[in-house]
Amino acid sequence: MINAVWTLLTPRLLSARPSVQNNRRSRFFFFFFIGLIFWTGAFLIFYRVLTYFQSVQDFGDILAMKLLSMMIITFFTLLLFSSIINSLSHLYLSRDLSLLHSLPVSVVDIFRSRWLVSAFDSSWMVVAFSLPVFLSYGLVYHAGIFYYLITFTAIVCMCMIASALSSMVVLLGAAILPAGKIRTLFVILGVLLAVLLVVVLRLIQPEQLVNPDSFASVVLYLNSVQALNLPYLPTTWITDTVRFALKSEWSSSGLNLALSTSFVLFLLFINETTAGIIYFRGFSRAQTTPKRLFKPVTLGGKSWEVLLNFLSRPARAFAVKELRSFFRDSTQWPQLFLICALIVIYLYNFSVLPLDRAPIKTIYLQNVFSFLNVGLSAFVLSAIAARFVFPAVSMEGEAFWIIQSAPVSMKTFLWIKFFLYYLPLLLLTETLIVASNILLRVTPFMMFLSVLTIFFLVPAIVALAVGLGARYPDFKSENPAMSATSFGGVLFMLLSFSLIASVIILEAGPVYRIFMAELHGQALSVKQIIRLALSFSFALFLCIFAVFYPMKLGEKHLLKR
Amino acid sequence: MIELKELTKDYGTTLAVDNLSLRVSAGEIYGFIGPNGAGKTTTIRMMGGIIEPTAGSIMIAGINVHKNPVAAKKIIGFVPDRPFLYEKLTGMEFLKFIGDLYRVDLSSLYRKSEELLKQFSLWDWANEIIEAYSHGMKQRLIIAAALLHDPKVMVIDEPMVGLDPEAVRMVRDILKGLAAQNVTVFVSTHTLSLAEDLCDRIGVIHKGTLIAQGTVAELNLAAKTGEARLEEVFLTLVREV
Repeated sequence: MINAVWTLLTPRLLSARPSVQNNRRSRFFFFFFIGLIFWTGAFLIFYRVLTYFQSVQDFGDILAMKLLSMMIITFFTLLLFSSIINSLSHLYLSRDLSLLHSLPVSVVDIFRSRWLVSAFDSSWMVVAFSLPVFLSYGLVYHAGIFYYLITFTAIVCMCMIASALSSMVVLLGAAILPAGKIRTLFVILGVLLAVLLVVVLRLIQPEQLVNPDSFASVVLYLNSVQALNLPYLPTTWITDTVRFALKSEWSSSGLNLALSTSFVLFLLFINETTAGIIYFRGFSRAQTTPKRLFKPVTLGGKSWEVLLNFLSRPARAFAVKELRSFFRDSTQWPQLFLICALIVIYLYNFSVLPLDRAPIKTIYLQNVFSFLNVGLSAFVLSAIAARFVFPAVSMEGEAFWIIQSAPVSMKTFLWIKFFLYYLPLLLLTETLIVASNILLRVTPFMMFLSVLTIFFLVPAIVALAVGLGARYPDFKSENPAMSATSFGGVLFMLLSFSLIASVIILEAGPVYRIFMAELHGQALSVKQIIRLALSFSFALFLCIFAVFYPMKLGEKHLLKR
Repeated sequence: MIELKELTKDYGTTLAVDNLSLRVSAGEIYGFIGPNGAGKTTTIRMMGGIIEPTAGSIMIAGINVHKNPVAAKKIIGFVPDRPFLYEKLTGMEFLKFIGDLYRVDLSSLYRKSEELLKQFSLWDWANEIIEAYSHGMKQRLIIAAALLHDPKVMVIDEPMVGLDPEAVRMVRDILKGLAAQNVTVFVSTHTLSLAEDLCDRIGVIHKGTLIAQGTVAELNLAAKTGEARLEEVFLTLVREV
């Protein structure tokens, strides 16, 4: 039994062997370095926050424990969501499952091996990034070695509980619905839940915390959070394990850890028994012919072809293909909900900024915010581009041969991709910047500057995404959208952020001088005007360079493949 | 119509195609056979403009595929060995997409698509997403798409994989019909009986090198196998290298 599970795991273990290829090794170090920066950043922030809490009399300890409880609930929710997606994929949708089920091994062994892989895949990142949180607690509370051992065991239990609960839900779901449809349902429900959480958190109005008048409501808020610590919730056991270990109350900590561990064992037993009965039935159901979930989308009876009639035939063909593929792939829809939620929250934040109560001169503050707003909007654009534009070339998948053998040059193909995303993203970002600037009531000059900066940043970021997506494509991925987290995707985010920061820095100096001159009723000197022209020209040059160079790089790489 | 001159593809670790030269005339069906890993697919992918050669040239109807790929691809009908398609489009939408890329006359595009879908027994599935098609149906759709723009040259890699006997016969008849209309057909296959029955001439590639070419009779002569079937000739030729 153990042997069979081990054998089933070997392909995965062997493919995870460190590669001897130099570029793979450098990519590993690149990711390790990025991860280390985030890890250190998270540790420093938590350490600073907890040290601050310690300095708050009476309230400090309560706040620290509330934060711990909220962090554990957040980690557990993330784990649940990630485990559902991973279990579904590993248990029902992976390409190698047909081979596994044809082998002379029991269904339960297949389930065990896939569950282990799924539990690891869905947990490792959450575990890695939860460690700085628990480490900072340990250091601030001067905890001993046993705290770290117990906490680590508790985290492992939390991951296993989340994974076992998720696989149970997936097992039961797949026995009722074909797996393809459950994925749609779960993903939509999960994202709706995430959007709801973000909106609720936003509506709590954290900016009110800086207002002493509303302090009474904070006490009420703390009390309301207490309601989440129900004694029969696994997150309460995990929180209490860590909480008591911090205070060296070993018997209480041990009791909660025992509760968690026994619950893990209980869930594993239930899972295996259920899998033995219904896993294969669900797998068989997942093999059915895919059917369209909804009828084809037509806008007012018009097809995409008619609506996009103004484009050239190849461009229209690509645009229509892209739109149809996007809207028929149900896993893409939740991403749209997320973007909508992101934009609503973004604009809502500006609408609640207490500009009138600020001690600094309002017009100055409004314009500073407007300037920051350019950067933030561009960051939002980068995130959207990383998710949708960067994988655009990889989305062609194994059907990329069609493009390669079609009488359309690679350059044309890439520029069509560019324009497909450029126009809607330009519209979206300009709308975002104009709407937020109206809410900020900025001067006409800042409005003009913001709109102009975004006008040049959007093509640069879109081209950077298309170009790097073509330079680092993954045509064999089962889920090309995930390429946003690949080496190329992370490189795109870094370069995109660097570009945005460079443009903002180049504009910030001259704009500050213009404001100061205006504030003091002085004219700009010739030297200042020259510096202003040089700064703006260099920012423009950077944007133009970012449009053409990555596109050329991507084209060259695709032709050489 | 097709001319490969000293064609070479070196992947760095593997020399997939080594100094390959051959000519195929208009209206001729040329079979390309060889063991697994001999360089057939690499040659075909270079002919389709999907990968670029390390050295040498490919001329299709006088057009250099590497130097003028768009013009060359306009007259090529390419069928790969594995039927990867845009899974979220319907069969009809896929043909429309291909028709737009190849700029097939709009007035005849729908009629031709319908004819091809009916010819390949896919009409009943025309409005179903390709994701729901079987392997053989996808293969049929790819062949239909390759014929949509009336190519002058057909470059086909393993056309019969996944097809049922009826479809095999249909594809064979279609290829013969195309050759009769002066279309050049370059086909790689492991089905030696098909090559024997269908092709005017056959080239045998092994370890990236063309080791023999000609009619079945000429290959028999080269292999000194008398009047043996192509299978025997092929095995003898490959063993000798």
